[in-house]
Amino acid sequence: MNIVVLVKQIPDPEALVAIGGDGVSLAIEPKFAMNVFDEFAIEEALRIKARHTGKVRVIALGSGKAIEVLRTGIAMGADEALLLEDEAFLDGDGYATAFVLSRAIAQEPFDIILCGRQAIDDDRGEVGQMVAQFLGLPHVGGIVKLDVTDGRAVAEVAVEGGQETVEVPLPALFTAQKGLNEPRVPLITGVMKAMKAQIARLTAADLGLAPAQAGRSGAKVKVVQYSLPKKKPAVQIISGEPREAAMEAVRILMDVEKVF
Amino acid sequence: MDKILVFVEAKGNEPRKVSLELLSEGLKLAASGQFSMEAVFLGKLPAAVRETLLNYTEKLIHVTDPVLENYTAEGYSLALAGYARKTGAKIILGGATQRGRDFLPRVAVLLQAGIASDVTITNWEKDPLTFIRPMYGGRVLAELSFSAYPAIVTVRPNSFGVGASLAQKGELVEFPAGISPEQVKTAVIKTEATTLGKADLTEADLIVAGGRGLKAAANFRLIEELAQTIGATVGATRSVVDAKWRDQADQIGKSGKTVSPKFYLGAGISGAIHHIMGMDTSKVVLAVNNDPNAIIFSYANYGIVGDLFEVLPALTEELRKRLGK
Repeated sequence: MNIVVLVKQIPDPEALVAIGGDGVSLAIEPKFAMNVFDEFAIEEALRIKARHTGKVRVIALGSGKAIEVLRTGIAMGADEALLLEDEAFLDGDGYATAFVLSRAIAQEPFDIILCGRQAIDDDRGEVGQMVAQFLGLPHVGGIVKLDVTDGRAVAEVAVEGGQETVEVPLPALFTAQKGLNEPRVPLITGVMKAMKAQIARLTAADLGLAPAQAGRSGAKVKVVQYSLPKKKPAVQIISGEPREAAMEAVRILMDVEKVF
Repeated sequence: MDKILVFVEAKGNEPRKVSLELLSEGLKLAASGQFSMEAVFLGKLPAAVRETLLNYTEKLIHVTDPVLENYTAEGYSLALAGYARKTGAKIILGGATQRGRDFLPRVAVLLQAGIASDVTITNWEKDPLTFIRPMYGGRVLAELSFSAYPAIVTVRPNSFGVGASLAQKGELVEFPAGISPEQVKTAVIKTEATTLGKADLTEADLIVAGGRGLKAAANFRLIEELAQTIGATVGATRSVVDAKWRDQADQIGKSGKTVSPKFYLGAGISGAIHHIMGMDTSKVVLAVNNDPNAIIFSYANYGIVGDLFEVLPALTEELRKRLGK
């Protein structure tokens, strides 16, 4: 069973984000992390490999530093890693990024593709589904359970007010939701293996892509400008004993803010 | 005239509120002459849903096909892309619901179109059109434009209001999609309801959320009572969900749900960034915490520094009095 996991290196959720002087770029504090949902994807891939034998390949698109999330993947137990590294790949929208990833995935046979349901920097939640469409595969989004048998998979998705169980033939793509599993912490042996691992890198040319098809040039959506959300005015503390404060709060909410 | 195609969904016997919000926005655009609008519904259409939708659109396209018996991303994307092509839509608008966000990116690939997901502001008067969406958990807003059309936009619930219904009901048009069954490989085996009738956080107008400050699962009763009094949906922080006091479905935050209510009350919540990321576009926020330095006060409009075990019941009682309950 060949399992591909798409992972993304994102700024640490606590990293400071500021808007660049030109208004169309971001200045982000250089603290990085693996996208939290991708951890569930890697963990699930490793569990499937343990049950079915096979190979787990982690792929990331990013600049050189992104190699760190690939090393994390290997430390957890992935067999191979691939970094799609090219200036031309950067600043793409979901479409351009998914297009490049699907090209890289298609280079080798695969049965299952796993990725996080969204990246918590861009918050788009598009790439997994688009990769599936580019490759002509069915996908199940936001899975909380996955059972793989020969040539088929049954997945559970939490939907509003309940749960849905869906079956797809393989190959197929699944995006991971919180609750799918508890990601393992890499063992020191894994970390050492990861530090020594040779990680392949591919450029646009390696994938047979012209720069115009990828990254910012290949994007269908352009950033006109970035801005900061309107600053909320300082909080109005409602003082007094609980009873008094409650009465005043309700008065404000009903008579001033007219919320209900 | 350029056409906007609004993808509408139902929840039980009613259209989803976000669908009516989008149709209301579409009606405004149609009235101004900037766009013509069609609403499109896929699969089984309950009569009550149809009748309500026809109050908010001059044309409701009902796309039918055996593959649309259940929701599958493959089936819905083929059906919508097919109709969008046929009708020559310039913009496809959908709610940023679980379903909309699941299948509309596939439609984008099918139509070789751009997609802007989870947009909160639309600038129809600009040329080119621009759409604003939050990123980095709401800390940055990105204003986006499309390099070509058609283009797809999913809109966060509660971004538009629901307007007045039409004086005259719209017309229903049936459209058989003609999808070959082999194109849809996903099969829905089972759908189970676990929490019947629980309102969806992402569409909720009023939310009361609790955090670790409640000290024990049983104390969520205080949150539930307050919520019930004002007809609010109950939310929870990640630590409360991880402690198994509440379901994952109740979680608001970076790895949970993003909400955009008119009113959000957070009690016993410190205001860690991963939670704030999920509720930062709430219109009016009231925080209750006994720590005057709690970060949540920086994100609130109003705050009560006090013991929630006294404040919450006091609020509930006062609300009951004022609301005559």
